[in-house]
Amino acid sequence: MMARTQNVRLSAALLLGVAVAACNPTPPTPGLALGKELFETCAPCHGDMGTGDVEIDAPAIAGLPQWYIEAQLRGFQAGMRGMHANDLPALRMRPMAMTLNRDGDIPSVAEYVAGLPATFPESTLHGNAGAGAERYAAVCVACHGPDGRGNELLWAPPIVQLNDWYLVQELQNFREGARGADPADIWGQQMRINTFALDDQAMADVIAYVQTLR
Amino acid sequence: MIERYLAQMSTYAGSIDGLILLVAVLVGFWFFAAEGMLFWLVWKFRERPGQKSQYLTGTEHHIKRWITWPHALVLVCDVFIVIGSIRVWNEVKQTLPEPDSTIRIIGQQWAWTFQHPGPDNELDTPDDIFTVDALHIEVEKVYHFKLESRDVLHSFSVPVFRIKQDALPGRSITGWFEATMTGEHDIQCAEICGIGHGVMAARIFIEDAGQHAAWVAANSNSTTP
Repeated sequence: MMARTQNVRLSAALLLGVAVAACNPTPPTPGLALGKELFETCAPCHGDMGTGDVEIDAPAIAGLPQWYIEAQLRGFQAGMRGMHANDLPALRMRPMAMTLNRDGDIPSVAEYVAGLPATFPESTLHGNAGAGAERYAAVCVACHGPDGRGNELLWAPPIVQLNDWYLVQELQNFREGARGADPADIWGQQMRINTFALDDQAMADVIAYVQTLR
Repeated sequence: MIERYLAQMSTYAGSIDGLILLVAVLVGFWFFAAEGMLFWLVWKFRERPGQKSQYLTGTEHHIKRWITWPHALVLVCDVFIVIGSIRVWNEVKQTLPEPDSTIRIIGQQWAWTFQHPGPDNELDTPDDIFTVDALHIEVEKVYHFKLESRDVLHSFSVPVFRIKQDALPGRSITGWFEATMTGEHDIQCAEICGIGHGVMAARIFIEDAGQHAAWVAANSNSTTP
């Protein structure tokens, strides 16, 4: 009888332990392995290698700097991006960013994406690169650099590896206030001011020039 | 009874809960009656030494009545459910009270966009207010909504209103609601719409007249479509 009681108590203790473990799983260790696992959520839109999909307005993100990806994911979470009624791709992206809600999720997935081989998507637009060079020198070069490789100190990302259609789309978003309008988005506000100087043709020209910097 | 677990905050939430309760009670009664009968028969006619099983065709009247009588009683219950359903359907879907205001609700993967009328209380005018994932309404006002989708099927669901309406690409579906209490509650998408469906959530802010007027005044020129 005594042995049976002990068995029941032992079983109850084991069950309780399993239940507690199930309710409070050990958080995964941040790093590339976690980043690769988390990237499975990104792959349906951005592709297995982060090369993007123009059909659903998902840009190439492979090889972008880790600091920039982290900043953008945190920007989505904070509502700096993905909260404008007309920015449909960002409306899709924001809820996905919201799922990265554990400590270490964002650095891990950003590290993984940064480690993917960068691609340089083909040009799809036809601007005047010559005219764009002048615009670039006047408006963009101070932050994004003469080679378009960006400057982390100024929170300016590399733009040479981004899709040209995505660059135009984001320039328009900045100009129309879909991006860079949040007072907390200091660097976005600075970018937005610079887009006021660019009409649609000037944007196409600048992006055409950026494509030549590869 | 249901309101103990989820507040009723629209004029027709009580009617819908009443219908759900009616269905649950009637179906629940027959479920337990049928299961009880099944297990009682299994026990009553359990295997016994020397007793052989019989083959029954089920055509004899005294055997068939075990099916036909409950069947008839279930049909009587169905009549009550059908009558209740038609009454609620008529109240919620067939009746369209005169609106105090009209809003547009747009679903897209994976966010809700809301177009509120500005100070002129007219939709599709320059002072309209666009918000993402936040719907602001005034309590005790009848709202018409025009529900649209930009991409795939969605379903606009406000649990405290007991409202759930599919949104279809290419169509503008008109519906209505009237909130009975102020508060802040969940809006969900209730139709699988892609990988982000589970996080396609929004909030509804039900405000009193003063709060809502202040919100409209503060936001009427702050956003663009």
